[in-house]
Amino acid sequence: MKPHISRSAARILSGSQILLETLISLDVDTIFGYPGGAIMPIYDALYDYSDRIRHILVRHEQGASHAAEGWARVRNKPGVCFATSGPGATNLVTGIADAMMDSIPLICITGQVSSHLLGSDAFQEVDVIGITTPITKWNCQVTRASDIAEAVAKAYHIAGTGRPGPVLIDITKDAQFEKVEYKPITKIHLPGYQPVLTANTRQIEIAAKLINEARRPLILAGHGVLISHASSELIRMSEIGSIPVAVTLHGLSSMPATHPNYVGWLGMHGNYAPNMLTNKADVICAIGMRFDDRVTGRLKDYAPHAKIIHIDIDPAELHKNVKTTVPIVADAKNALTALIPLINKVERIGWLGEFHAHYKIEYDTVIKNEIKPTSGKIKMAELMHALSSITDGDAVIVPDVGQHQMKTCRYYAFNQPDSLITSGGMGTMGFALPAAMGAQVASDRQVIAIIGDGCFQMTIQELGTIDQEKIPVKIMILNNNHLGMVRQWQELFFDKRYSFTHLHNPDFVTICKGYGIQAKRVEKRSDLKKSIQNMLSHKGPYVLEVVCEHFENVFPMIPTGASVDEVRLK
Amino acid sequence: MLYTILVFSENKPGVLYRIADLFLRRRINIESLTVSEVGDNKLSRFTITVKAEGALVEKIVKQIYRIIEVVKVIDAVDSQLIFNEVALIKVSTNSPQKRKEVNEIVKLSGAKIIHFTKTDATISLAGNPEDIDSLKDVCSSYGVKEFVRSGRIALVKGMMADRKNVLSMAK
Repeated sequence: MKPHISRSAARILSGSQILLETLISLDVDTIFGYPGGAIMPIYDALYDYSDRIRHILVRHEQGASHAAEGWARVRNKPGVCFATSGPGATNLVTGIADAMMDSIPLICITGQVSSHLLGSDAFQEVDVIGITTPITKWNCQVTRASDIAEAVAKAYHIAGTGRPGPVLIDITKDAQFEKVEYKPITKIHLPGYQPVLTANTRQIEIAAKLINEARRPLILAGHGVLISHASSELIRMSEIGSIPVAVTLHGLSSMPATHPNYVGWLGMHGNYAPNMLTNKADVICAIGMRFDDRVTGRLKDYAPHAKIIHIDIDPAELHKNVKTTVPIVADAKNALTALIPLINKVERIGWLGEFHAHYKIEYDTVIKNEIKPTSGKIKMAELMHALSSITDGDAVIVPDVGQHQMKTCRYYAFNQPDSLITSGGMGTMGFALPAAMGAQVASDRQVIAIIGDGCFQMTIQELGTIDQEKIPVKIMILNNNHLGMVRQWQELFFDKRYSFTHLHNPDFVTICKGYGIQAKRVEKRSDLKKSIQNMLSHKGPYVLEVVCEHFENVFPMIPTGASVDEVRLK
Repeated sequence: MLYTILVFSENKPGVLYRIADLFLRRRINIESLTVSEVGDNKLSRFTITVKAEGALVEKIVKQIYRIIEVVKVIDAVDSQLIFNEVALIKVSTNSPQKRKEVNEIVKLSGAKIIHFTKTDATISLAGNPEDIDSLKDVCSSYGVKEFVRSGRIALVKGMMADRKNVLSMAK
């Protein structure tokens, strides 16, 4: 039976219907979820809404939260996932924590035991509010149907505005059943939540003066640039001032890799030039990034000559890790729009030239051998280099976590914004398969997951979802039969004691075929490009297993605790 | 250094949990905590004292601000504050002599006897922590049967510049 939809008459709906009506009113059209006892009334209501909401049945709730993350990163608005109480809710936790670290807007709805059972250790009861408090931007428990609409409206607003993040609403089973009059929410009241979007004019003037007086300015662009759609402003500012732009992991794709002012990726396995020259810069303008320890290396030796301008929407990030000369609380696009007219047109050819000289060193010692090997098994870098040129850098790339992730970030030349979705802060193995699935559901662009053999087996069951929903995502398994990054550290820092990092793997091609998904294995260098082209031209989902060199390392590398200019090239 | 952090938030469940977690993550022990609803606008007022470095307190204050329900956070040191604690001391008064002496002490210290039986008297004192410590010390020679003290409550000295703003936001 369809819910009653007259606008004039009072509408008596169940809490479950109110939840779905409210989500629809917020333009939610996709939900990733998994049913269970305490969320059954909601799933029962969902049965009548299938014309307006696409529910994707995952194979494990962790898949639901990661898929919603992937979806959210593409659409730049909150992704939604449903899970039941107890184990359903705890299975969401990894994805929620991941979204918290990487500022991804998520709305998680969990079922809960009936309110009279709360706190009694009832079947499948878990304190999900307690468990998720440290890893959500906001959460709340609802025990009455009349509170559901407001909670959902607040959740949606909180998740998607300011610094985005995950929110969770825990709804007791009796509230899902309860019937009340549905009153759509037109206004929400959040007196303590008023994100500052507009930069302080005086701070912008001081920042502009510093940049104009600088001889060696450097822009560090982070995730915030992409979240606020500020890529064109970033490029504009860089071009006017002839300022080199380096990016963080989540800032990748905020500027085309082919742009002459783009100088590469920062951090532990980033490019040689931006890491080395961070410590020569006299002004650093950091936009929408958080000076993560993988970016800064040893803090006391970080950017010793630079005055630092830090633009971020989250005031708690300013001065958190790095002492800032000019802190600016603002949305990145807003701040850049205010800053650009004040930036003098200057040529800084010598300074940019230093980056090019450092790039040449990296190319000659590392890159050349990586992308053009002539013997041995296929290397991850040559594979990414080939994928990048075949797709013209236009695909949405979803690497998992480890060596293959670092190689992807190093060698895929991103050409347009919002093209990299990966687990940065948490480093969640198993992220890529469900996240790529969610991203492909949300996107018309080709989404390609890049997954290691270790990661693949953490969320492999989502192949079932991909097949059932016919999601045309492409999946590349970079199989080196090892937990490669841990193995690399064992080689470099633990006397080559390879403790539990070798994997005896199943036949991935057979497994994929068992799930009804087309799959091929490629082992020979000469077959690589053709295999990638075959994968991309296939209409539906496709898995390409690439048998890779077993003992590859990722270089350059800034060892943990070293300064950003103590880069190891081998 | 002892810092007092005043937090104003919507009076909703879970806010205390979020605040406590921020201290937990930085391994800072909360020395005292007082929470109550204040004003007509139903704000909760938290008074938290912690021993920590100033730079760290500043970071945590910003993270407390990030809690959705939190409207205002103020951190201060003792010289910027007027503050008080309340103590209850149950003292043995099982002889006329003891009773007399305890009564004398109570008068001198500005405390009050709020309950008594044949064998003991319960003294209440509101004051600064040192006054409470010294009263307890003096009472100990008579035999302190039970002692309890509240967490600190505090006001910022003089005008709290943006206080009006805080309250109007929470309408």
